Amino acid sequence: MRFKGLAAAALAALPLLAPPAAGQGTQLLYLAEDVPAGLDYDGPAVTVNTSQVGFINMMDTLVDYPIAGENDEGIRRLDFSRFEGRLAESWDYDAATLTWTFRLRQGVKSCAGNTFTADDVIYTLARGKSVSGTAPINWFLGSLASIAGFDRGVFTGGSRELGDAVEKVDDHTIRIRQSASNNLFLTVLTVYSMAPFDSVEMRKNATPEDPWSHTYANTVNAAGFGPYCLERWVKGDEFVLRANPDYYRGRPQIDRVVIKRVPQSANRALTLRSGQAQLTQRLTAREFEQLSRARGVRVAGIFGNETLLMGLNWRTPPFDNPKLRQAIALAMPLQQLSRIGYAGQARPWEAHFTEVLNGYVRPEAQYPQNLDRARQLLAEAGYPGGRGLEAFPDALRLSFTAERESYLGPLATAIQSALRDIGVPIQLDPLPQTQFADRRMVKKDLPMSLSDTEKPVGPDVVYATRLFFVSPQAGGVNNITNYSNPELDRLFGEAQTEPDPARRAPLVNQIQQIVQRDLAWIPLLETRTQWAFSDRLSGLTWHPDNSLRLFELRLAP
Amino acid sequence: MIGFVSRRLATALVQLVGLALVVFFAIRLLPADPVARLVGLNASRDAYLTAQRSLGLDRPVAEQFGSYLGVLPGSSGLLQGDFGRSWVTGDPVAQEIGRVLPITLELITVSFVLAFLVSVPLGMICAIRPGGAADRATFAYSLFAGSQPEFWWGLLFIFVFFAELGWAPAPLGRLDPMSTPPAVVTGFITVDSLLAGNMAAFRDGVHHLMLPVLTKVFVLSGPIVKMVRQNMVRVMASDYVLFAQASGLTPGRIARIALKNALAPALTLLGVLYGYILGGAVLIETVFSLGGIGSYAVRSVLAFDYPAIQAVVLVIAAVSLLVYLVLDLLHAALDPRLVG
Amino acid sequence: MSDAPAVEAALTARDLRDGAAAPVPDRLFRLGAATVALSLVLMVVGPWITPYDVGRPTDDIAVPPPSLAEVPGLLWAVLTGRPHEPVYWFGTDASGLDIFSRVLAAPRADVAIAVGANLVSLALGSLLGLLAGTARPWLAGLVMRLSDLVQAFPVFITGMILVTLAGRSPTTIVLTLALLYTPIYIRLTRAEVLTQRGRGFVDASRALGKREAWIALRHVLPNALVPAMIQASVTVGFAILMTAGLSFVGAGVRPPTPEWGLMIAAGADGIVQGEWWPSLFPGLAISITVFGYAAFGNGLERRHAR
Repeated sequence: MRFKGLAAAALAALPLLAPPAAGQGTQLLYLAEDVPAGLDYDGPAVTVNTSQVGFINMMDTLVDYPIAGENDEGIRRLDFSRFEGRLAESWDYDAATLTWTFRLRQGVKSCAGNTFTADDVIYTLARGKSVSGTAPINWFLGSLASIAGFDRGVFTGGSRELGDAVEKVDDHTIRIRQSASNNLFLTVLTVYSMAPFDSVEMRKNATPEDPWSHTYANTVNAAGFGPYCLERWVKGDEFVLRANPDYYRGRPQIDRVVIKRVPQSANRALTLRSGQAQLTQRLTAREFEQLSRARGVRVAGIFGNETLLMGLNWRTPPFDNPKLRQAIALAMPLQQLSRIGYAGQARPWEAHFTEVLNGYVRPEAQYPQNLDRARQLLAEAGYPGGRGLEAFPDALRLSFTAERESYLGPLATAIQSALRDIGVPIQLDPLPQTQFADRRMVKKDLPMSLSDTEKPVGPDVVYATRLFFVSPQAGGVNNITNYSNPELDRLFGEAQTEPDPARRAPLVNQIQQIVQRDLAWIPLLETRTQWAFSDRLSGLTWHPDNSLRLFELRLAP
Repeated sequence: MIGFVSRRLATALVQLVGLALVVFFAIRLLPADPVARLVGLNASRDAYLTAQRSLGLDRPVAEQFGSYLGVLPGSSGLLQGDFGRSWVTGDPVAQEIGRVLPITLELITVSFVLAFLVSVPLGMICAIRPGGAADRATFAYSLFAGSQPEFWWGLLFIFVFFAELGWAPAPLGRLDPMSTPPAVVTGFITVDSLLAGNMAAFRDGVHHLMLPVLTKVFVLSGPIVKMVRQNMVRVMASDYVLFAQASGLTPGRIARIALKNALAPALTLLGVLYGYILGGAVLIETVFSLGGIGSYAVRSVLAFDYPAIQAVVLVIAAVSLLVYLVLDLLHAALDPRLVG
Repeated sequence: MSDAPAVEAALTARDLRDGAAAPVPDRLFRLGAATVALSLVLMVVGPWITPYDVGRPTDDIAVPPPSLAEVPGLLWAVLTGRPHEPVYWFGTDASGLDIFSRVLAAPRADVAIAVGANLVSLALGSLLGLLAGTARPWLAGLVMRLSDLVQAFPVFITGMILVTLAGRSPTTIVLTLALLYTPIYIRLTRAEVLTQRGRGFVDASRALGKREAWIALRHVLPNALVPAMIQASVTVGFAILMTAGLSFVGAGVRPPTPEWGLMIAAGADGIVQGEWWPSLFPGLAISITVFGYAAFGNGLERRHAR
């Protein structure tokens, strides 16, 4: 009955299909929750996934990972243990002087027609170190890679000039010096916020108040050397990219990509089903399930780095109590969460890292749902049957982002119900994204939070450790639960600097055992990164930033 | 007449200034921190302070208000018609509102006119024999329609006319995603497509307006029928209608005379209603994914985008006051006793 | 609709003045009264009589309600206590919550918030209205100008902004709605006070040397309250609509509170795919309840005008 109705709807929609204008070549309509809000990767929109799609496809990095084949659903994977040149052709490293030498690709043209040179790389790093943008991600990544001078000093009166950390040897050779031995260097270079700008174009749009052209980059154009150029941008509505004919890896097969804002997932699903659009993502699990049965539509996905987790703040009593954390972990209704939020397509997350990350091992400590054991641990923690927890009404509040309430709300409800079963009463507290991010990442005072946004863009266990688990004193950056363990900090330091892979592996293993034993987080589910797309479309490849590279797509006529 | 108009204008202006003042300080009193969202991933204390400075939030509140109004030397503010820049997109708020407001106004104005056209005959039927069967039935209808959750009816209409029957397009916005919108002149899709001679876009635009307008007309007809009925009953009972009846005028003639006198006072109430509808447009926009001023308001509130929030409230209030004023003047023109 | 209370208020005031009040049939009035009574009863007992726990997802996700043909058999099985499969009269939603239980429990949120907001604004509005009707001109003028200012705010948007920025709790919503509805009561009470002051017994009291404030409180207020109370029975309905509307756009109570608007929002995505039940039943509940309040209030108005 329902499907009959939908078929009728699809038929009704057909006459509305705009006829493809003659001579336009291949065009892809990509439905997204939003179009890019800003294009500066050091700007306010950088953390927004829908904005990243914009600059990621308009710029290119120095290095990236090679493609390593595809999973059984046809999604291509990358090999995170090897690197491949992009704007850099080759490189070598001198351990004695901590210096990397990159030979840059010649004859690369930007959308504006400028040629790529060493000056572009230097401009980009100098701009990053100036920390002039609202979100200095380039500087932040530079500091993760230990590029000389990229440290906290820039905020405390230290130099914001690049100095001699980067040296131009000739037009197509540069040297980058590190301040310490750091294995994450190349991993960091694959991240979007390290992509070189077209410095000629950027300088043209600089103003005395804004010498690094942040306003231009954020509101007009991300001038880079990528496969696509901006054709049209109506904020909150439509974002149109046109293939860069001079792209150095060849002209993209799809000439024009229209990214259209369709905020409601149900509407994205329907439009895709009707054949009007060719690609979309971030649907609800049930919409994906229904689309997978539709004609002309494929649904495919991969277990990448997307997860669901609950953060318990280590500084907020009673969550400083390890037994209580374990009791909570053992009470989690993982199968039910998977059914409610992911149509049963998610799998219990048995670690603090996902399987695709370079260096992953499955840790020994495991917390499968066991209510008796949970109650017992709760009693051992000093709260038999939950008695004594009434002293912490403000701590027992599970927060999540209100904007995503339709999906996180039901999950939080199931968690609330499961915790009530062992005697832990909690309230739900949806907060606007803004407030949620502020309290979780800046003030770090959210007692309990439910989130699915912890996705390390550097696909490496050591990188993720630095991001999430290392204490702030030891250089941790995004440690949302205030987790702190000196032993872990030490292991991380060794793993980051140990050049010999054979001696590094046991360190990386130990890191994973420790965070899992301590329950730095309560890992809940590993979820699939999924797309629904026309069966004429192929070449989808999973990247750690979860943005598709439009260049890699092929659209059959 | 000029004195009347200028008095009304002055009152409206005072109200807007009051609104600007209240909105500005009220949102700053609420327990929310707008700086945080701009700081993002790497939020050090320094980055926080930088962002705070870039928003101008480190200055004394009075100074912020001064520059918001545009009375401080060198600042551009409300007096210059400048709402400031959005903290989210960096674009001028005035420009963003110029894009979203017509979408809402188009929907509401079309619905209003249609609802009025439907409601006047209904209200008149009621008033011909107050208390009769037709009056009671119509009145029950108006009571019902006027007390309905429009967002729910919108969803029901989507279910019936889109999911089941396939007559309406997907509730995806103002136009089909693949069609090219006409060049922006007025911002009203229907008007612009006619101006551009783009009949395909016009049909598409009307097609997409169908369900939201149906929903709005349904709920709007409630209060309007009641309004027309009440005024008609009053007029029909008045001395001059009794006199007209006594003089043997045909019921049709009498109804025409009565209608004019009944509609005049209804205009003022319509003005109030229009303002309310404009402020509540967010519900219908959410249901049909229309990117109007209501959706813009939701977006701005969730992002703590203060310049945008302030502008939304002021613009909606200003448009409401303007419509109210125009209808009031119309009323005064129909009933000159008011001007005095 | 959340849009209409001011228009309603204006109409009410005028109708009471000249007796053109609504022709609410007696049957409709009684139905309205019954709905109001039922909603108030459910507000108190609703959460205690639900067949399922309103916050515990069942294992059955998005189960449609039984067809009409199955209902008698199921009802019989449930009433006679025979073993049967779990019965979800209104189906379950996408997270497995029983919709019937939640619809029953929701008046504890919707009706309580609406009634609470109206009590607060009625109290505040009638006192301020009394002040505006009896105080010195400058003070009365100030009250009325402030009331004008509040009324100049776009109601729904302002409600959304206040609730989102001040935190989504029932208290915030009650206070926000109360603030927005107070001017209606100020106007109503003031108009009534001005009328009452002209009446004989006030003059008589004055002649007896009673103090102005005492006269106002003792004689004028009780009489002025009647239209305000009638207005309240209509406005409660609109407050329910507004509460649900705010939740619908994410500016209302927090999940998993059973609340009609929140439930409609949760089902909205499914509607497009033909999954009608999660949104249908809570919407029906709002539709009937608010209509009931409107019929009751308008009926009262007519009876008062007689």
